[in-house]
Amino acid sequence: MTININLKELWNEQSTVIPDQKEILEKADNFRKKNLRKLVLTNILLLLTSAFIGFIWYYYQPEMITTKLGIVIVILAMIIFLCCYNLMIPELKKSDYSLSSSEYLKKLLGLKEKQKFLQTTMLNIYFIMLSAGIALYMYEYASRMKMLWTIFTYGLTFLWIAINWFYFRPKSIKKQDKAINELIDKFGNLSNQLYKEDQ
Amino acid sequence: MDNNIKISFEEIYSTYWQKVFRLSMGYVNDIDKAKDLSQETFIAVWQNLSKFRNESSIGTWIFRIASNHCLRLIEKERKMPKGDMPEDLKEEINNENEGKKDFLYKSISELPETDRIIISLELEEIKQSEIAEILGLSEANVRVRIHRIKEKLTKKFESYDD
Repeated sequence: MTININLKELWNEQSTVIPDQKEILEKADNFRKKNLRKLVLTNILLLLTSAFIGFIWYYYQPEMITTKLGIVIVILAMIIFLCCYNLMIPELKKSDYSLSSSEYLKKLLGLKEKQKFLQTTMLNIYFIMLSAGIALYMYEYASRMKMLWTIFTYGLTFLWIAINWFYFRPKSIKKQDKAINELIDKFGNLSNQLYKEDQ
Repeated sequence: MDNNIKISFEEIYSTYWQKVFRLSMGYVNDIDKAKDLSQETFIAVWQNLSKFRNESSIGTWIFRIASNHCLRLIEKERKMPKGDMPEDLKEEINNENEGKKDFLYKSISELPETDRIIISLELEEIKQSEIAEILGLSEANVRVRIHRIKEKLTKKFESYDD
C-alpha cells in the first residue's frame, strides 16, 4: 500500500501556473472567428467564380444549347461542392466531447468512415461534372473552327482531363485515404484497448 | 453571456485546471503539450457549458471532455509533426522527489493510451465508478485494470530504486 500512497503524493506534486482565464476565452473566440472566416472565404471564392461564368453567358450570349448546358453543369458542380462543404465541415468539426470515451471513439470512427466516403465520391462527382461541362461548353466554339483545329482543341482538352483523371485524381484520393486510414486504424486501436477486456 | 454561467465557469476553471493539467501531463509527459490540451479542454467546457444538464457530475463531465481531447491528440499530431513543437524547457531536478515525480509521469506516458487515462484519474482520486462512467467501461474492468497498472508502475519504480 505504501507505493500507492507514494504514487498519489508524487502525482500531486505536478503543478503549473494557472493561465489567465481571459487567455482561454480569447483563444475560444479566435478559434471560432478563424473557422467562420475560412467558411465564408471558400463560399465567396466559389460564388465569385460562378458569377464570373454567369457573366460569360450574359456577355457572349452563346447560341447553342450545349454551351448553356456546359455552363450550367460547371456551376452546378461548384454549387454541389459548396453545399457538401458547408454541410459536412461543421459536422466533421463538431464532436461531442462529453460522451464517454468508448462512445466518443465509436462516433469518431463512424465520422472518419463517412469523411473517407465523401472525399472520394465528392471528388469523383465534381470531376466528372467539371469535365463534362467544359467539353459541352467548348463545342460551340470548336464547331466554328476548322476540323483539324477542332480535333486539336478537343484532343488537348481531353488529354488534360485524362491526365487529371488518371494521374492527379487517384493520387489525391490515395493521399487522403492514407491519412484517413491511418487515423481509422489508430482510433480503432484505442477503441479495442477499451473493449478487449470489457466483454 | 449569461452571468450565472460566467461565474460557474470561473469556479470550474480554478477548481479543475490543475487536475486537467495533470491528466494531460500523464498522457503526454510534455509540459507545453499538456498546457495546450488543458486549454483546449477548457475551451470546449466554455463552449458547451450551457449544454451541461447535470446528467452526470460536473467532474465526470469535465474529465470526459479532457479524456476525449487526449484520445484525439493523434489526429492533431499528424497535422503538426513533433519537430515543430517548441522544445521543453528542462526544469532543474533539485531533489530526489522531483526526479521520482518525473519518473512517474514518464512511466505513465509510456503505458497504452487508455491505461494512461485510467491511472491518471485514479491518482486524481476519482471514484472507480466515476472512472467507469468517464470511459464507458464496467466498474469491474476498471478495478482490474487499475490493479494491473499499479503493479506495472510498482515494478518500474523498483528498477528506479535500484
